[in-house]
Amino acid sequence: MKILLFVIFLLISVCKFAFSEEQQISDEQEIIAMGDIEYGEYLGSECAACHHQSGASEGIPSIHGMDAEVFVTLMLAYRSKLMENPVMQMIAGRLNNEQIGSLALYFSKLEPPK
Amino acid sequence: MSKISRRLFNTGLAAASVGTLAFPSISLGALPRVVVIGGGAGGATAARYIAKDSNGGVHVTLVEASKRYYTCFFSNIYLGGFRNYGSIGHNYYGLAVNQGVNVVHEWAVSVDPAARMVKLGSGNTIPYDKLVVSPGIDLKYDSINGYSAGVQDKMPHAWKSGTQVQLLRNQVMNMKQGGTFVMVPPPNPYRCPPGPYERVSMIAHQFKQSNPTGKIVILDPKPKFSKQGLFEAGWQKHYPGMIEWISSDTHGGLKNINASTMEFETDLDTFKADAACVVPAQKAGAIAMAAGVNDGDWCPIVPASMQSKADENIYVLGDASVAKSMPKSGFSANSQAKVAANHIRGALTGSKVFDARYSNTCWSLIAPDDDVKVGASYVAGAEAIDVESKFISQADDSSETRAANYQESIDWYNGITADMFS
Repeated sequence: MKILLFVIFLLISVCKFAFSEEQQISDEQEIIAMGDIEYGEYLGSECAACHHQSGASEGIPSIHGMDAEVFVTLMLAYRSKLMENPVMQMIAGRLNNEQIGSLALYFSKLEPPK
Repeated sequence: MSKISRRLFNTGLAAASVGTLAFPSISLGALPRVVVIGGGAGGATAARYIAKDSNGGVHVTLVEASKRYYTCFFSNIYLGGFRNYGSIGHNYYGLAVNQGVNVVHEWAVSVDPAARMVKLGSGNTIPYDKLVVSPGIDLKYDSINGYSAGVQDKMPHAWKSGTQVQLLRNQVMNMKQGGTFVMVPPPNPYRCPPGPYERVSMIAHQFKQSNPTGKIVILDPKPKFSKQGLFEAGWQKHYPGMIEWISSDTHGGLKNINASTMEFETDLDTFKADAACVVPAQKAGAIAMAAGVNDGDWCPIVPASMQSKADENIYVLGDASVAKSMPKSGFSANSQAKVAANHIRGALTGSKVFDARYSNTCWSLIAPDDDVKVGASYVAGAEAIDVESKFISQADDSSETRAANYQESIDWYNGITADMFS
């Protein structure tokens, strides 16, 4: 689990580095600002088919209470296929920035797993 | 009434009425009423989301005959000996107690669309403003000569989970050493496209341990099947020489089954089985026909909402619907239910209605830690639900990826069942 978290941290760092000054639209804060929490709740119902509130020690993690910026970074990484997993690449691949921001807002407000 | 007190009010009602009352005798005032028929992946999800997201603003009744629901998905995993039967069973207390859904354990026998009324087996009626029909499938026993409900215990279909799956597992475990198991998959369209082939994989896995000289013959009414390349490669790798898939092009069609001699007659040959699984053709569950929302065997829907094309107050979810490119799967039904729930709440309470978006993923276990998956996202076209993007496991996936897929499928099972029942 520690290794997994470290890999995610590394990927996030790489992703942040990968987005150049010209790609300001991909800035996490800007994307979160585009979000609508009600829309995020609707879109998030798709995530709930797999992401259990309590999460798992391996496999599919809980995304309840996830920091909004981390959420956006991860989704951008899946969208650009920097992170592997065909299901997540497919899910993120059809989300625009407003939708990612909406999901980030919604999940960040939920109670994290105990 | 405040949201909270209204919620408690409904919760109390629901808890009191689980399995006992057809509908509450206390006046419900002006609350809009939704009735959901069928407590599977489509119906349970729809009931849960409408109740949860309306915060007590909609009175939701779920009509489901079974008090305990055994999922069809993962029933093959049970067949392979990877889970016990109890682990695929779920009850409706979460929906009643946590979400305030009025759960009624009865059969819905007819629908009067003009009066907007559902009639139950007890003779009681339940009025609705919006009706969700999510009955799953019925089997067309007469689609195969010689097969019938009368012989289904001798040659289980086991395609609606429940005791049929337990029966099939017993027959697999007790098949004579070196005997032949015959699998007859259904013709298209049917519930769970990769299901028959995952089932064969799981039976082969069991035979490898308890009956290593046992054989499996698949008499397919189709010339090809879902994830075919992945399954065939997996069978070759894990069960060499054990499984023979015979396409309809080769056997020329299944002419007759003799249940007493366990013989399967085709143009090519007559096959004698020591145990068998026969899955006939399928159609929408009977209540969909009774509601008049079918066109032939299945129910056409409006792609943007899952409303029936025959009646705007009736929504049809899951296997019973004509969702075109979306497969008939629990994942699909769960996805469709959320679109319908959002649409229904909008119609009844004025809440915001968002664009329909659908997705599906099907995992199939071939052998321990060798799991493959296929999935797609979909959009509502004018006439049909259309594929937006899709993926499938690759033949050269690493063993780590295949093992991770299996772990992912277990997590998905926990996720979707919580999404249906909690």
